[in-house]
Amino acid sequence: MSNLLLLTKKNIILLFRAKSSALIVFFAPLLLILILGLSFNNTSKYGLNIGVHASSYNDEINNFLAELKQQEFNVVKYDATIAACVEDIKLGIMHTCIELPETFQIQSNTPAQVTFYVDKSKINLVWMIQDTMQNKLGIKEQQISENIAKDVLNKLTDTTIRINNEKNGIASAKDKSSSASKNTEEARNILSALDLTVPTAAYDTTILTSFKDSMVANLDDSILKITAAKASVSKTSLNSSEQKKITDSLAAAALSLANAQVLINSEEAISLNAIIAMVTSLQTDLTSTKTKLNTASAKIADSNTNLNSVKTTLAETMTLLDNTQKTLEQINTNLQSQKVTDANVISQPIQTKIEPIAQEKTHLSYMLPILLILVIMFSSLLLGTSLVMMEKNSPAFIRNFFLPIRKINFILSIYLTNVFLILMQVIIILILSIIFVKEITNSLHLLAIILFLAASIFTFLGMLIGYLFTSEETGILASLSLGSLLLFISGTILPIEAASAAIREIISFSPFVISERLIREIFIFNSPFASLWMDFLILIGYSLMLFLITLIAESIMHKHLLERFLRHHHNIHKQNSKLIKNG
Amino acid sequence: MLTETLFKNNNRCCLFIPLNTPKTFINVQKFIFKVELIELNEVAKEFNKVKVLSNVNIHVEDGDLFGIIGQSGSGKTTLLNILAGFIEPTFGTVSYVSKIDHQPKNLYENFHKIKRHLGFNPQHPSFYPKLTVKENLLHFGQLYGLKHETLINNAKNLLQFTQLYEHRDKLAEQLSGGMQKRLDISCSLIHKPKILFLDEPTSDLDPVMQKEIIQLIQEVNKQGVTIVIASHHLESIEKICNKLAIIHHGQVHSFGEFEEVRKPYLKNNININIKIGKDKERIIQLVKKLPVNKIVDKEDYLILYPIDTEKTLNMLNKLIKEENLYLHDIDLRKPSLAEIFAKITAEKD
Repeated sequence: MSNLLLLTKKNIILLFRAKSSALIVFFAPLLLILILGLSFNNTSKYGLNIGVHASSYNDEINNFLAELKQQEFNVVKYDATIAACVEDIKLGIMHTCIELPETFQIQSNTPAQVTFYVDKSKINLVWMIQDTMQNKLGIKEQQISENIAKDVLNKLTDTTIRINNEKNGIASAKDKSSSASKNTEEARNILSALDLTVPTAAYDTTILTSFKDSMVANLDDSILKITAAKASVSKTSLNSSEQKKITDSLAAAALSLANAQVLINSEEAISLNAIIAMVTSLQTDLTSTKTKLNTASAKIADSNTNLNSVKTTLAETMTLLDNTQKTLEQINTNLQSQKVTDANVISQPIQTKIEPIAQEKTHLSYMLPILLILVIMFSSLLLGTSLVMMEKNSPAFIRNFFLPIRKINFILSIYLTNVFLILMQVIIILILSIIFVKEITNSLHLLAIILFLAASIFTFLGMLIGYLFTSEETGILASLSLGSLLLFISGTILPIEAASAAIREIISFSPFVISERLIREIFIFNSPFASLWMDFLILIGYSLMLFLITLIAESIMHKHLLERFLRHHHNIHKQNSKLIKNG
Repeated sequence: MLTETLFKNNNRCCLFIPLNTPKTFINVQKFIFKVELIELNEVAKEFNKVKVLSNVNIHVEDGDLFGIIGQSGSGKTTLLNILAGFIEPTFGTVSYVSKIDHQPKNLYENFHKIKRHLGFNPQHPSFYPKLTVKENLLHFGQLYGLKHETLINNAKNLLQFTQLYEHRDKLAEQLSGGMQKRLDISCSLIHKPKILFLDEPTSDLDPVMQKEIIQLIQEVNKQGVTIVIASHHLESIEKICNKLAIIHHGQVHSFGEFEEVRKPYLKNNININIKIGKDKERIIQLVKKLPVNKIVDKEDYLILYPIDTEKTLNMLNKLIKEENLYLHDIDLRKPSLAEIFAKITAEKD
């Protein structure tokens, strides 16, 4: 344990004795935190530039824009068309463009549509914009939703009141209907109680036929006998007068019989008793029927009274129902006036739509600019530092001092070596990228220029670090720290929009940001070179400036490096000699 | 050839003298006998206000094999670095005398012109370990702007000269310590410099390799290259250098040809070495009567440190005759550089 502590103590002492190690170990994180702290230690809203286009800027839209401005957003109106705003996103002037609806008033089941135009290649910014703006729109949406719900509730309240009002009428109608029902029931009972049964006795009409036939037969027989008597009379001795008299009497009798026959054959020929009986029976039936009819008549009279009452009641009910119908129609009209009936629209009256400003690409396409610059940055920084360190710490370093070569050649040789290695990397990356992102071939030449410039800048930065730091480890650590810093303040991880305006202004000149922006604009937006020349010039400027700084730094450091190199190796040799002496 | 033989003296090599130029003619006497290449006047060096060197007045002449000796931390490497132009002195001037016009020029102000005439070999290997022997030579030769044919010839000659020809395709890091040192010297010689600076050329090497390197240095010097060596291998320096400077506590204690340097230390600093045969004990008892400071028994021989050399020698002669002593050998030994150096450091400390 004590050995472990001793070794640890030794390591710490050695670390502190090596000034550059101590410097980088403590100052690198300190510097990183300090810069990030200064940049992002604020609670102010993200400084987003928002371009807005609406077909008309009415009070409602203007109020919404005023609210956005209050939120520290920089709102710019694009009166003509949203396309101009989209172009400004591509140039990095705007962060998002919003196409607002004509009004936020929802008149139908169609929600108000708000379209955001975002640069999807700025992934974290897209989410931040979406989050921030949807938060803002959410409030507006809530207001609209509340208004619609209020309107619906007002109508419901009105309906409730009206229904309540109609409730008494309906109750009354119900009572009246009940009463009518009762009366009708009574009438029904009365009427159903009426005995309208008809006597069912069968009257035997054959009697009459038999009686007639018998009478006719007797009469025929009587007539025949009278005829025979008349013939017998003629044969009698009775004088003629007498005969005549008898004959006449017989003729008269025959006539009577004939009459009787006629009578019998007529419809009136019925048996008297039967007829009497029949008639009696009929009379009884008739009496019974008469009685019933009388009773029925009385009952009907009663029913009539009831039905009159029912009629009155129903008439009243009708009035009530008329009123109710009117009320219901009013309610219906009222409810019909509610245009927004879709629950989705009520709950979400504003529909947001995210439109990419460039043709939709894969995630890899959006990531490619950052990926390329990240690789270039870290590779160039580390290689630049390593190559300088390699040269500085090379045993042959001292020999270069005597070479009749200008210092610029050494710097350029390291730079060219680095650029060569980086370009090899870039070629590999681009070849692999082409497999996945075919459209990259369209802008390959411009991409190559940007990557070359970026590689130059980061190489010179790496070389500067290499010249400034003593040991390879601290140099590499410093390169990584610088790379991390540039990465952190590039907007790739932390949105630079969260930083203060002044810091944002400074960050916008970061070579990482400029290079990444250029690649994005060329690769994703296919922007023409003419619109990007300024950024190209800045990168070229950086390259030249850093080259000069590297040259100056090398010149300043050269003597020191040489002395340090000689001292270092002299000490090593002294130690070696001692070791050899001690056997 | 005449000039070559004329100037070959005490390991100094010839230099071609352009006698037809009047200026050279004016300086010819100086050139023949004392042609200064580098001259240091009142040179002092401070590191962080700590004086490392002071009052240095020395010069290196053409063809010299100049040794700088001193204890560790005495400032010998600093002096070598000043001579080589690595470090600018805090005070004083360092002049380089061009062979063309023989006018002294400030070394640092004209370093860009002078440096191609210089070769430097630091203590550590100063080549690219991942390049082969040949690649290293060609690389440095090309950077010196040598023409291709010249370069190839130089490289071949050097490889043969340093006996590295067989190893020309080996990676430098794969060579032995001695071979690495030879490669290092080859790299410094590829452009045929006028002066070669060697910092501790024999350190970290075993005695055999040390001998090899010493021979190589002598050979190089014979080829006409002025050599300046900083070393604490006093034996080697004594053996090969015609001129030396002893640095002690940042000051040049002694400077000049070795005999000049040794002169002040000859008086009472001669040892008498007696190689004894039989009667060792008797001889020891007898020599004890002589006026000596110390007698050291080295088994085969005795070293006498006389109080007065002449008197002791006379008494020893008398003793031999009187006592009929048989001695194998009597040797008068002058103080070696190491002894002188030890004396100097002891005096100063």
